[in-house]
Amino acid sequence: MAEPPAGPDPSFEERLRAARVKSGLEAAPPKNAGGLGWAERPLAMGFRVAGELVAAMLVAVAIGWSLDHWLGTTPWLLALFVVLGAAAGVLNVWRLFKPRHENGLRSGQGSGERKDH
Amino acid sequence: MAAGPSIDALGQFRLATSLGPIGAAVNFTNANLMMVLTAALVLALFGYGMRARAIIPGRTQAAAEMGYEFVARLCQDIIGDGWKPFFPFVFTLFFFILFGNLVGLFPYFFAFTSHIAVTAALAVIVFGLSIIVGLVKHKLHFFTYFMPAGAPKLLAPVLVPIEILTFLSRPVSLSIRLFANIVAGHVLWEVFAGFMLIVAAALGVIGIAAGVIPLAINVVLVGFELLVAGLQAYVFAVLTCLYLHDAVHLH
Amino acid sequence: MIPFLRRLASWSLAAWLALAPAMALAQEESGGMPQFQFSNELTTSQVVWMVLIFLVLYLLLARWALPQVSSVLEERARRIAADLDAAKAAKAEADAAVAELTAATRNARAEAQAEIAAASRSAREAAAGQTAALNERLEAELREAETRIDAARAAAMGALREVANETARAMIERLTGHTPAPETLAAALDHALSTAKG
Repeated sequence: MAEPPAGPDPSFEERLRAARVKSGLEAAPPKNAGGLGWAERPLAMGFRVAGELVAAMLVAVAIGWSLDHWLGTTPWLLALFVVLGAAAGVLNVWRLFKPRHENGLRSGQGSGERKDH
Repeated sequence: MAAGPSIDALGQFRLATSLGPIGAAVNFTNANLMMVLTAALVLALFGYGMRARAIIPGRTQAAAEMGYEFVARLCQDIIGDGWKPFFPFVFTLFFFILFGNLVGLFPYFFAFTSHIAVTAALAVIVFGLSIIVGLVKHKLHFFTYFMPAGAPKLLAPVLVPIEILTFLSRPVSLSIRLFANIVAGHVLWEVFAGFMLIVAAALGVIGIAAGVIPLAINVVLVGFELLVAGLQAYVFAVLTCLYLHDAVHLH
Repeated sequence: MIPFLRRLASWSLAAWLALAPAMALAQEESGGMPQFQFSNELTTSQVVWMVLIFLVLYLLLARWALPQVSSVLEERARRIAADLDAAKAAKAEADAAVAELTAATRNARAEAQAEIAAASRSAREAAAGQTAALNERLEAELREAETRIDAARAAAMGALREVANETARAMIERLTGHTPAPETLAAALDHALSTAKG
C-alpha cells in the first residue's frame, strides 16, 4: 500500500477524470481492431475490386440469360445486361474508393466499405 | 502418375454423410458436423465461458467479453442508431464464420465456408434480412434506394437497372469473397503438401531434403490462413452491418 | 511483418492464378470442384442443415449467452461508475478538509503574528521610556556638573587674577621702585588674561 504523499496531486485528479470519461460514455474510437491496417493492403483491395466486378457481371449475365430464354430474345438482353453489369461493377468499385463523407458512413455503400479490407 | 502420391487439391472439399447410417438417412454431411462443432465452440466460449459472471474476469471470460464488445462496437459504428436488434444476428454470423474458418484450418477437419452453397446461403440470409428490414421500416419508400439522389430523372432508365444490379450483386460478391478466400488457402495447402510428398517419393533422400521447402511454405501459410480466417469473418460482418445500415437509414 | 505478408500474399496469389487453370483441367475428369456439384443432394442438404444449426445457434446466443455477457458488462460498468463517483466524492471531501486546514493554519499564523507585534511594540515603548528617563537624569547631572565647573573656573580665575595682581605689583615695585597705579595694572592684567584665556 504505497500511498503517494498527501497534498495536491494533479496526477490523481487527471487519472480520476480519465477513468470517469472512460466509463462514462464510451466514445468508441473509430479505429476498431486493426481493420484499417489491413484496408491498405493492395492485394486485399485488388481482391475486392475483382470480386465486385465479377459479382456484378455474374448477376447481370444470369439475369440477361434467363430473360433471353424466357422471352426468346437471345442474345440481345444478354448483351444489354453485360453492358449494365459492367457499369454496375464499375459503380461498385467507384464506391469502394470514394472518399469518406461526414461521419464516414454516408450512403452506407462506398465510404463505409472502405472500413473493411 | 499411376501409383504413389498425387495432388488431389479438391478432394478435401468433397461432401459425405457423417454420423453413420443416421446421418446418411437425413443427409447430415461432414460440413454439418463441423457446423455443429463450431456452434458448440461458440456457445462454449460465450455461454460456459461466462458462467463465473465475475466482475474481474478470468481469461476465458475476458476473451468472451472482448468478442462481445468488438461486435457491439462494429454494429454501433456501422449500423448506427437502431443497431441493438441486429446485434445478436451480426454476432452469430461473425462468430459462426470466424470459428468455422478456424475449425476448417485443422487437419482432417472440414472447412464448411469453402462451399459456395454455404456462403451463398449466409449471404442470402443477410440480403433477405436487409430487404425485409428496409421494406418494414420504409414500406414502398424503400425503392427510392434505387434512384440515386440528385441524379437527373432522364437518366433513370439507365441508372435504376444499374443500381438494382449493384444491389443484387451484393450477396454474390459477399459469398464469392468468403468462398474464394477459404478455397484458395486450402487448395494452396493441399498443393504444397502433395508437392512435398511427390518430391520426396520421386527423388529419394534428396527429395526428402527438397521437400522441406514446400513444408516451410505451408508453415508460413498457416499464419496467413489464420489472418484470412479472421479477416474474412470480419469483412462479412462489416458488410452485413453496412447493408443493414442502408436498410435502416436508406443512405 | 506487413511487407512480408504483402509479399507472401501477392506471391500466393500468383501461385493460385498459375495453378488454377491446371487444376481445373485436372479436375475435368473427376467432375470439377465439389462445391459446384449442385446435382449432389448433399450440397443442398448441408445448406438446409446449416440454416437449422444457424437458427439454433442464433436463438441460444440471443436468448441465453449474450444477455449473460451484457449483464456482466453492465454490472461492471455500474460498479465502476459507482466507484468513480465515490472516488470523486472522497476527493472533494479531502479537498475541502485540506482547504479548511489551510485556512485554520493561516488564521493561527495571523493571530500569532499580531500578538508578537503587540508584544514587541510594548517592549519597545517601555525601553524608550526608560531611555528617556535615563537621558533626562544624565542631562541634569551634566548640567549640574557644568555649573560646578563654571563656578570652580570663575573662582579659579578670580584667585588667579589676585595672584597675578599681587605678583605684577610686586615685580613692578621691585623693578621700578614705585608702585603702579592700580587702574593701569588692572587694565593690563585684564588684557593679558583675556588673551591668555582665548
